[in-house]
Amino acid sequence: MEITVCYFGLLAETVQKEEEILVTHANTLGDLRKELLARYPPLKNSTFVMAQNNEIKSEGEALLQAEVALFPPFSGG
Amino acid sequence: MEARYDRQIRLDEVGLSGQKKLMAAKVLVVGAGGLGCPALQYLAAAGVGTLGIVDFDLVTLTNLHRQILFDQNDLGKNKAQVAKNKLEKLNSSIHIEAYDTAFNAENGFDLVAAYDLVVDASDNFETRYCINDCCVLLNKPMIYGALYKFQGQVAVFNYLGGPTYRCLFPTPPQAEEVPNCDTVGVLGVVPGVLGVMQATETLKIILSLEGVLSAKLLSYDLLKHHIQLLDFKPNKEAIAQLKKSKQIQQQSANQCAQDVEIGLSEITNNSNLIWVDVRELHETPQLSISNLRHLPPSKWETHGQQLEEASPKIFFCQSGQRGRKAAVYFRKKGISNCFALKVGAAALEAWINNTQHEKTT
Repeated sequence: MEITVCYFGLLAETVQKEEEILVTHANTLGDLRKELLARYPPLKNSTFVMAQNNEIKSEGEALLQAEVALFPPFSGG
Repeated sequence: MEARYDRQIRLDEVGLSGQKKLMAAKVLVVGAGGLGCPALQYLAAAGVGTLGIVDFDLVTLTNLHRQILFDQNDLGKNKAQVAKNKLEKLNSSIHIEAYDTAFNAENGFDLVAAYDLVVDASDNFETRYCINDCCVLLNKPMIYGALYKFQGQVAVFNYLGGPTYRCLFPTPPQAEEVPNCDTVGVLGVVPGVLGVMQATETLKIILSLEGVLSAKLLSYDLLKHHIQLLDFKPNKEAIAQLKKSKQIQQQSANQCAQDVEIGLSEITNNSNLIWVDVRELHETPQLSISNLRHLPPSKWETHGQQLEEASPKIFFCQSGQRGRKAAVYFRKKGISNCFALKVGAAALEAWINNTQHEKTT
């Protein structure tokens, strides 16, 4: 399916875009994470959580037909 | 009741009883920087009865565009102490305690125990995880704020059994993974907005108002004014495990950082030391000390061989973060005797001036 993926914080610089539409065969968020790491190897060094429908979800949860957002922790203060 | 609180007492949500709650409240603010300064100003103005301020760092000129409690006369002075003095002028009826120290696993527990809630206005992950663990163990809410360039995150952790920072981000990033404001830059208003949001959540909790950002992460992009409220769940197993262990979980990166860190008081003989300034060339203050080298991060890979000497090397930067990163980096490269200065260049400059003064008198 086609889904929009949004990258926040430093992740947007790591993948050099703030959002994109991807065609994926992933069934779960964990599958999608693996696909993204294969597509963007530098992401392997990044810590982030994934959200869909305004909820941060675990990797075992099913990938829905909705935007996925990737949030890294921020450090600055 | 003082007339100064009249306009907030008029609110049904505050009233006289709310004002009394504020005056009885004890809030610890960790970090008197970009987030901490605005948060402290509003908390003091609102009449929060006891404020604790933790910051080991000294005021530098590069702080003044965002750390709005400080002015040019404060350069080189301790931030917690200056903040206390300024806030006492704003509101002399509250009690303010300044802690001129870093918040860490040794003192964190005692600091948090003396307060009702903790505002996390720090600028690094070691401190954030340490605050989280102290708050979980002592059942105190933690009001989190952090930023990256124009984006911010705000959340309230450990509130009435709600999720914790570790429930949101279970794995601490590597020390070098996420840069802070000193490295990437920041527009002063961004921590200003976020620090005021943290103060807002703090007041809401004290006043028992609804809508506290518990179990929610607020993500705010100030360029686009794109705001998202993201729900997340508690990791009950992880919380129970932490509570059972009854101790702050040391991060491997944290432990490693503690081994490499060195304080100025530990330096007795600096004649054989090599000082390595890992800041960019334009950063100030520029220091005049013997055996000084400049090695900004862009040159670590190509010019690192300069360091292959037996003498102890002390890496420093503006706040200590890049210095720590450098010491860890060069240790991994097999270079021995690498240490990171616990404090920043401003504190080092003051120390150099003092030691030179001692020699001449």
